[in-house]
Amino acid sequence: MKALRQIGALIRKDLGLQFRSKETFVLVFVFSILVVLIFAFAFGPIFPERGERGKLTASVLWAAFVFAGIITLNRSFTAERSHGALHGIRLTGVDAGNLYFSKVVSNVIFLFLLEIVITPIALQFLDLLDVVTVGILLKLFGVLGIGTLGFCAVGVLLVGMSTSANGGESLLSVILLPLVIPIIMGGAKCTVSLLVTGGLDGGFWLQLLIGCSLVFLAAAYLLADAVIEE
Amino acid sequence: MRLRASQLTKDFGHRSIVKGATLSVNPGEVVTIFGPNGAGKTTLIKILATLLKPTSGELEIEGTDAIANYSDVRNGLGVVIHENLAYPVFSPYENLKFFGRMYGVKQLEHHCMTLLTEVGLQHFAHEPLHIFSRGMTQRFMIARALLHQPSVLLLDEPFSGLDAAARQFVLERIAQEQRNGKGIIITTHNTELGYLAGTKFLFMINGELEEVAQKDEITAETLLFMYEERLTF
Repeated sequence: MKALRQIGALIRKDLGLQFRSKETFVLVFVFSILVVLIFAFAFGPIFPERGERGKLTASVLWAAFVFAGIITLNRSFTAERSHGALHGIRLTGVDAGNLYFSKVVSNVIFLFLLEIVITPIALQFLDLLDVVTVGILLKLFGVLGIGTLGFCAVGVLLVGMSTSANGGESLLSVILLPLVIPIIMGGAKCTVSLLVTGGLDGGFWLQLLIGCSLVFLAAAYLLADAVIEE
Repeated sequence: MRLRASQLTKDFGHRSIVKGATLSVNPGEVVTIFGPNGAGKTTLIKILATLLKPTSGELEIEGTDAIANYSDVRNGLGVVIHENLAYPVFSPYENLKFFGRMYGVKQLEHHCMTLLTEVGLQHFAHEPLHIFSRGMTQRFMIARALLHQPSVLLLDEPFSGLDAAARQFVLERIAQEQRNGKGIIITTHNTELGYLAGTKFLFMINGELEEVAQKDEITAETLLFMYEERLTF
């Protein structure tokens, strides 16, 4: 009961911080839109085949969300470190695993909201919105949600380590991207499959995506105490 | 005994910052640690607050091994350090409410407003913390440290950067908490204020902690003389 109350308070606080300043949301929103526009203009006029358009859209979406995710993770920990608020939270006696879990949930919610806004815009610019049904769109959000969970599972742990180091923001990209390759691969392949065929043929990439996300989440939860307390 | 530390050391690489610090604080006792900048006072307070692991030594808070079971003892600590341990975007009320929820404080909203009134911030309760002056921030930090009614207060340089009125407020609040039975540890380089606040005095110079006297054994002038003498050598 106490743990649930603390996790709830931490998630509410994180989302409150993100939306109070609006800085991060505006930054990642503009960044993601720019990525979509640059790709749309660079590859225009758009491919006539749906298959090619699907592959391009999947690349654009995952590139935009991965880099927006890195910005979001960095910002969410900067707020904790800059005035010692993380020490303040540690002093409440909260379990490090619960602190880690709440940080993952709040970052997933924040990024998922961004994905809900950006995905239809990307589909529109890359000429796929008229062929994507509501069912496909919901499945696509499901894939993006699982991918975001796996990305944040590793990302929150690594950003916790890197923000206390010199040049932490650049360090995060260097150490995070190689680790989340299975998630990006699985997520991108599922997205291509959904946008091209409307289904998730075979399911191998979906299994990889879900499996890696859960393994990362469990492993990072167990390591959270060492990262936060050291 | 509220807190007992024995032979605490802290090394950063080859540098020893805290060298075998031993001290204790009982209920209703105010231990003042005097020391110049860079003496290791802040590092010692962070170790006592369980925010930093010592390289060696023992730390007991309310009879519990605070190094092994840090999560269990943190609820009993109220801490003021140089950082404000809060979110500048939020107001004092929002910060207290958030941390109160984390601590599981009962009748939270009423308690937060009472505390803010006690520290004289009731008219600024809903202004963001980042617009606050040093003195107002210090008042907020004292409210934050008292939020969950801890049994031990650890105050690192509580008088620094404050005007006369704010210093008087901090002194009065320390006296009040002492009467409430809290064990209090203060670090300062201001001998006058440290003497007024404390009941037991220690010097910390170059990482070494030395117990000097109880308040009834020494005058403020003698304490100042001894402190300056230690600094010279």
